[in-house]
Amino acid sequence: MGVSVPTEAAPESGTQSRIGAVFAPVVTAVRSLEVDTRLLGMLGALLIIWVGFNILSGGTFLSARNLWNLSVQSASIAIMATGMVLIIVSRNIDLSVGSMLGFLGYTMAMIQAVWIPNDLGFGHEQPLTWIITLVLGIGIGALIGGLQGFVVAYGGVPSFIVTLGGLLVWRGLIFRYAQGQTIAPMESTFQMLGGGTVGTRVGALGEWPSWTLGVVLCLAIVFLQISSRRRRRRYGFPVRPRWAEGLVGAVSCGIVLGVVWVANSYPLPVNVALQYAEEHGITVPPEGLFIPTGVAFPVLIMLIVTLVVTFLATRRRFGRYVYAIGGNPDAAALAGINVRRTIMLTFALMGSLAAISAAVQTARLNAAVTNLGVQNELDVISAAVIGGTSFSGGIGTVPGAILGAVVMQSLRSGMVLLLVDSPTQDIVVGLVLVVAVGLDTFVRRGVR
Amino acid sequence: MRRSLAVLAAGFTLVVSACGGGGTSAAGCTIGVSWNNYQEERWAKWDEPAIKKAITDAGGKYISNDAKSSAETQASNVDNLISQGAKVVIILAQDGTAIKPAVAKAISGGVPVISYDRLIEDPKALYITFDNVLVGKLEAEAVFKAKPKGNYAIIKGNKADANADFLRSGMEQVIGAAVKSGDIKIVGETYTDNWDPAKAQTNMEQILTANKNAVDAVLSENDGMAGGVIAALTAQGLAGKVPVSGQDGDKAALNRVALGTQTVDVWKDARALGKSAGEAATQLCGNSDVSKVKGTAIFKTPGGNSVSSILLTPNPITKDNLKEVLDAGWVTKADLCQGVAAGKVSACG
Repeated sequence: MGVSVPTEAAPESGTQSRIGAVFAPVVTAVRSLEVDTRLLGMLGALLIIWVGFNILSGGTFLSARNLWNLSVQSASIAIMATGMVLIIVSRNIDLSVGSMLGFLGYTMAMIQAVWIPNDLGFGHEQPLTWIITLVLGIGIGALIGGLQGFVVAYGGVPSFIVTLGGLLVWRGLIFRYAQGQTIAPMESTFQMLGGGTVGTRVGALGEWPSWTLGVVLCLAIVFLQISSRRRRRRYGFPVRPRWAEGLVGAVSCGIVLGVVWVANSYPLPVNVALQYAEEHGITVPPEGLFIPTGVAFPVLIMLIVTLVVTFLATRRRFGRYVYAIGGNPDAAALAGINVRRTIMLTFALMGSLAAISAAVQTARLNAAVTNLGVQNELDVISAAVIGGTSFSGGIGTVPGAILGAVVMQSLRSGMVLLLVDSPTQDIVVGLVLVVAVGLDTFVRRGVR
Repeated sequence: MRRSLAVLAAGFTLVVSACGGGGTSAAGCTIGVSWNNYQEERWAKWDEPAIKKAITDAGGKYISNDAKSSAETQASNVDNLISQGAKVVIILAQDGTAIKPAVAKAISGGVPVISYDRLIEDPKALYITFDNVLVGKLEAEAVFKAKPKGNYAIIKGNKADANADFLRSGMEQVIGAAVKSGDIKIVGETYTDNWDPAKAQTNMEQILTANKNAVDAVLSENDGMAGGVIAALTAQGLAGKVPVSGQDGDKAALNRVALGTQTVDVWKDARALGKSAGEAATQLCGNSDVSKVKGTAIFKTPGGNSVSSILLTPNPITKDNLKEVLDAGWVTKADLCQGVAAGKVSACG
């Protein structure tokens, strides 16, 4: 099932090189869209996976509920994958993200469940606890990530070694902290970050804020398109034909609004809805209550992270430096780029993203456990790589990595839905990883 | 103050040893313990003091070393203990197969071996552990009592860990007949990599989705995974309505029992295990025949060996007997009762 994933991209490129003449008009049309064909290939692959699982599961996979769950389950890996892209693009690797996540999750759990309420004596359920916890967590994340980056960039130790050490050190520190105990429960407001439910509070935007978010994002997409078109004109660069511009805009908007629509099609679970009705004095109609859940907070966090990291990567000097270093480190250094500082910053960014993911995971589980984040580094690296990030440096996109994370999680949760046991899941995901990257390399060589 | 307490404790120890001597001649006998990973909280905090106390109470001497999670180190550690004069060796095995040559060597040299908590496949070693099949049985009994009919989900531990299957076979003893008669339908059953609570949560979400929430009871093999299961149930407003099992006596899980979201937490008091091993070791000082140790029975191992064993009985903790873990000093009242409304649970007042 999963093996068929990347074939989508293959015939397309094949046609370009061999029997391109026949399909010339199609190729020109696709070219004028200026869309990354790899991204299109991945979207196609995802579609195949989704439809396949939907048929096999008798319609459950594409239900609003499962897609909502899928979005929440993918979020924490996707958040970290955005940072991993920049790390891998600059020809480094971070093997410590899973352990950092565990360490930071434990730190945040200790702050809110032990240090603030007991050691400082402020008690539980204080209104500011969650935000203090989160800010401290992200700060510590940036610090320990930056520390690893410092050793890599200024100490000249290969990142593989530094972060391999980190993988052991951060995991070991977790045991030092609480001697292997589970820290629970989390503050109720903090739990919202994981998209969970406390009483009738649900970690999601709700109906109208979700639609508002969708519309704002749509307007932003259109605005970006117009401004980019103007800029290109000004510098005399070619622009897309008008129809192509319209199509890209419409499809992007459609995806955004589609996500919102799905999230709003998932109603609050019956028991939660009934309690909600009781508390708000709503009379329950005979056909039952339908209160839309809306976009989950982990997904919202992921969206914000994606926008911020994409902005950093494509519109800021920092991002350009990262890609330049990945393309050719020597040339980048000779061009006056502060390579060391840039590398250190990518690791600091990775650390703070690990903290955000740690908040999402601990909030979702409502506990910090010792094996929090175990093997997450593999999922994060796989997501980035399936999403088209190249280990030879200089190549990789943030949206690709997000898509990679969704592909991975779709395979996993789809197989759970079909009651496939975990060793078989590992085999399938492992094969998909190798085949996806293998085909990609093969196709790229063919094009050249 | 502290000194007077110490004197009191010493006096108490004297009285206990005077009464509990029971004729074993462990005076001057050195007993060695080989830990596989002393860094884990449990061994240092609960097991070691209990073993040490049982040995010193009988007049013996306690020595130990730590293999730091290395099977090779542990093999040489066992030799070291013997050369330091240990007459009996207690081993918490890192790897029950890799340690076999060292165990065989010790036994052939006249030093009896106790495999502590984890099985070593040597027919001449004494196996002391909690009865894992019974743990599974007790987990299932509490849940079965709450929901004798309906759709069951079973969240099992790591596939590579024999305990996952021991537990499952204990559960089968309770629900097997009802499954056959159709009263119970198993709508989801999965192993969980590394007993990972986050994976258990995802698996439970998928089982709930696949069955449109028609899950009436969940048999989770341990507390960590029960936490993940309950997080998934909470999201659907089902926590507290669907019975869930667990084991280990985690603080967080005992708190959930008090809150009513977890039905049972099968508690294995490590101190009882340590005491039993210490006492068995002192008996072996006098007579190295492991089958003559008090309370042993024959245990058929998965490897087909018949070993002498002492299987301790675990204690299922539910809302009604939470007081036992409090009285035993296993958890503090603050941890146990966090968030529990006054007057709801007797142990919390």
